[in-house]
Amino acid sequence: MSENVIEARGLLKTYGEARAVDAIDLDIRRGEIFGLLGPNGAGKTTTILMMLGLTETSGGSVSVLGFDPVRQPLQVKRRVGYLPDAVGFYDHMTARENLIYTARLLDIPRRESNGRIMQALKSVALDDVADKRVATFSRGMRQRLGIAEIVMKKAEIAILDEPTSGLDPHATFELLEMIRGLKKAGVAVLLSSHLLDRVQSVCDRVALFNKGKIALMGTVVELANQVLGAGHPLLVEASGIDVAAALRGIEGVQQVLPAGEGAWRVVADRDVRAVVARNVVTAGGSLSRLSDLQPSLEEVYTHYFEGERHAA
Amino acid sequence: MQREGSPFTGIGPVFMKELSDHLTSIRMMVLTLFVIVFGAFPVASSLQTLRTVVSADAYLYLRIFTIEPQQVPISFISALNFIIPLMAIGLGFDSVNSEFNRRTLSRVLSQPIYRDALLLGKFLGGLMTLAVGLLALWLIVFGAGLLLLGIPPRGVEVARAFGFLVVAVFYGGVWLAIAMLFSVVFRSTATSALCALGLWLFFFILWPMIANALVLGFAPAEITSIDQYVGIQELAIALQRLSPGTLFSEALLGLLNPETRTLGFMLPTQMRGAIPNAPLPLDQSLLLIWPQVTGLIAGMIVVFSAAYVVFQREEVRA
Amino acid sequence: MRRLIASLALIAAPILIANQTFAADPPKPPAGAAAATAANAAPLHGMWLLTDYPSQTVRPGEVSTIRFKLQNAGIAPESLAVSVDGAPAGWKIDVMGNGQPIAAAMAPTNDSVALQLRVEVPKDAAPGSQNIVVHAKGATQSIALPMTLTIGKEVPAKIAIKTQLPSLIGTPKSSFDYTLSVTNESGKEMTMALAAQAPGNFQTTFTEGYGTNEISSLPIEAGASKDIKVKVRPPSDVKAGNYPVLVKVSGQGATAEQKVTLQISGQGQLSLTAKDGRLSGEAQVGKTSDYTLIVGNDGTAPIENVEMSGSVPSDWKVEFAPKAIQNVAPGEKREVKVSVTPSDKAIAGDYVASFRAGGRGDSKSADFRITVTTSTLWGMVGIGIIAIALLVLLGAVARFGRR
Repeated sequence: MSENVIEARGLLKTYGEARAVDAIDLDIRRGEIFGLLGPNGAGKTTTILMMLGLTETSGGSVSVLGFDPVRQPLQVKRRVGYLPDAVGFYDHMTARENLIYTARLLDIPRRESNGRIMQALKSVALDDVADKRVATFSRGMRQRLGIAEIVMKKAEIAILDEPTSGLDPHATFELLEMIRGLKKAGVAVLLSSHLLDRVQSVCDRVALFNKGKIALMGTVVELANQVLGAGHPLLVEASGIDVAAALRGIEGVQQVLPAGEGAWRVVADRDVRAVVARNVVTAGGSLSRLSDLQPSLEEVYTHYFEGERHAA
Repeated sequence: MQREGSPFTGIGPVFMKELSDHLTSIRMMVLTLFVIVFGAFPVASSLQTLRTVVSADAYLYLRIFTIEPQQVPISFISALNFIIPLMAIGLGFDSVNSEFNRRTLSRVLSQPIYRDALLLGKFLGGLMTLAVGLLALWLIVFGAGLLLLGIPPRGVEVARAFGFLVVAVFYGGVWLAIAMLFSVVFRSTATSALCALGLWLFFFILWPMIANALVLGFAPAEITSIDQYVGIQELAIALQRLSPGTLFSEALLGLLNPETRTLGFMLPTQMRGAIPNAPLPLDQSLLLIWPQVTGLIAGMIVVFSAAYVVFQREEVRA
Repeated sequence: MRRLIASLALIAAPILIANQTFAADPPKPPAGAAAATAANAAPLHGMWLLTDYPSQTVRPGEVSTIRFKLQNAGIAPESLAVSVDGAPAGWKIDVMGNGQPIAAAMAPTNDSVALQLRVEVPKDAAPGSQNIVVHAKGATQSIALPMTLTIGKEVPAKIAIKTQLPSLIGTPKSSFDYTLSVTNESGKEMTMALAAQAPGNFQTTFTEGYGTNEISSLPIEAGASKDIKVKVRPPSDVKAGNYPVLVKVSGQGATAEQKVTLQISGQGQLSLTAKDGRLSGEAQVGKTSDYTLIVGNDGTAPIENVEMSGSVPSDWKVEFAPKAIQNVAPGEKREVKVSVTPSDKAIAGDYVASFRAGGRGDSKSADFRITVTTSTLWGMVGIGIIAIALLVLLGAVARFGRR
């Protein structure tokens, strides 16, 4: 599980003076879902293109499945599936025809390709519209068709650039399920996004991009601890007492912030739910809700970049 | 830093896809219709004229192409001279930028092929489409000739007419390369089409006038010697030849009018002792038009190379 | 005499003008004119029987015709009965006028009537002379014409032939025209058969005088002569030499011969062909092409000083090797190399080049169709240009390729 499928060392991309990707180090392990996060223009797509050999590197090295995308782009592209941002298909062709074209480009034998295409379309639930022209497809269907292409390709790595942008919640949910399906099939998934909360749910690890650099890298919890300084935020809803006062003084609690009418957000460095409940009840208040909030990437993100802004 | 693998890996599927796209597209049908309408009138009229001609003509079939019938003041080849660029532009003006606009380019390029194969495959696919269309047209003309003239063409005529087909494909290739260059340079298909059509109009309408004006500008006020006169004439011809249409029509003149001995300017002394109306043998006609054909082929390659370089330097990112 | 007439005219003029009727009155000539006639000849009045030859020869068993006439000089016409006296026994003598037997004749004033005596002499008539008299008797006139008819021997038929130019010189191509004068030296008209003995294949034809019609026989009156023309055409391949032709004229057992001679000098006849028989060839622009011509002599005499020349389009070069041939014997064939260099500016296509062999006596030219081909050099250059364009593309692939 710990085998790296992508290893980048000091990967650099410059456009004149500007450094789009500034000497990043990145390891992606087999079978994990890795998120590249960051605002637009942070260098995510450039990094992806360099990994695919679609853009020249300006320095450093990158190895994809043991191949150098700079020297052996065909080998890399044969094994890596790529779903670009807002993927496009040939509108005048059917879903199946689009995939047949890809299969031809991949030099998949004709005998094999038909079965693989149908299987792939089934896996993304597009088999019933296989012979409909792509022009009639919704955005979500196109993204799924892109996933189908990766499935058909039997890629070892799937690189998805902003896969969920522009999708409605249901389509997003479906797509994320399919990404999980890829992972289940043993495919390492590298996805980039600026929509953090959605990515958070599927990513094993994330890397936070900022101005061409990886600011943070690790699991979401690790990042939350690193940025927010606390891995265990709580949401407390109670009435009848001054909750803030009741909770202040609990060991480990760092912050108590009002979060709406009768709701407070409690940040602690350990699990303080039992003490919080006791304190609220003993203070005479009625506790209506006490939930353990997952550390939100959104918060990490916001916090981090606020910090950056303050630093700057 | 040498990348591995042939730059033309995967050119076959691209070529086949472009070909089938073109051949099934509505645009191609419209263009074909256009060509048939433009070509059918001269051919029908010239066939009608030829049927009334009783004198034996060794190159009767070639006259179908070249004769300028009275009813329609345009011969088949001059119609083609005009129409082939339009076909080529129609096939090529959006070949690359539409891939950008449909966001298919990066997906296709993430497959194990290089851009080289994509561009060349597209070009060859377009060229093949042109060739198929022209071949169909050619066969229709020959078939109509067989039907209406009632005599089979001679081998030499078929060979010359086939040469015409080859030259026509190269001529289309030049314009296809031009259209593709614009499609690489401009992201907007409309801009690209406009530029290609503008160049087409420039060469067909404006350039002859500009060339004349240039010659008048270069010519001395008073022509004092025959050499001077020849020089001016040759300059005028050379300027005209910068237009692919001129090269095309000259090449066809040499091919389809076997009596043509020269395409350039000729002094009367050079014709002294010549047997008039003696047709040149095929190999001599080919030698005669070879510079024109060379110009077309080399022009096609150079323009394609330009498109290639621009395309290779572009960022894939939409 | 002239002065007299002139002075008379001067005198007569006013009279002629005054009264025109004088001039229109022939029966009475003016006095001056009568005086002039009187001064010229003595007035002779009367009737006569006249014949050119009062003594003639006739032959036994033959019919002879003797012409005579009745002449009236200055007297009134009168019918005269014509008769013959003194015809020997067995002879039949008739007076004929206008082909018919007549008995009388009448001559107008100052005129004559032609008459003939048809004398039929019996076969057994003895030799000797017979005297006959022709009488013409009328109311006022009686005229007699005595004649002597001598029985003569048959004069043998004889033909004379002669020519002024019995020997002509020419070439096999010339036509030899001999003018012969044939004379009938016998006593009567003869039809002459014309014949000529010539060597084989010589053609002979006869024409009369300056006529153009071919004849094979020709009537000639007794004593007369006529010109005939003999045209002899030797065969064109005849060898040089002297050829006699015997012209024979025969008629009524008489024959005359005249030998004429053709002195045929022989003639050269040039031929000019290409070695392989094809009168066409190819030549490249600006490059010399060699063709082999065959100069031959199909004639009978050698041809000397045969010079080669050629007319080619302008700016072309043509050279012959050898440029001239001293002597081409009959039947001989000589090869001549001709080098043609089309002009650098020549345009591909077919051209006519005319080659000429000219010697003493004959010349011959032949048109060659030369197909000028352009050099494939420019084709190579074109391929080079395309190759350069492809190299540019390959360079672009090498520099920017594989992305």
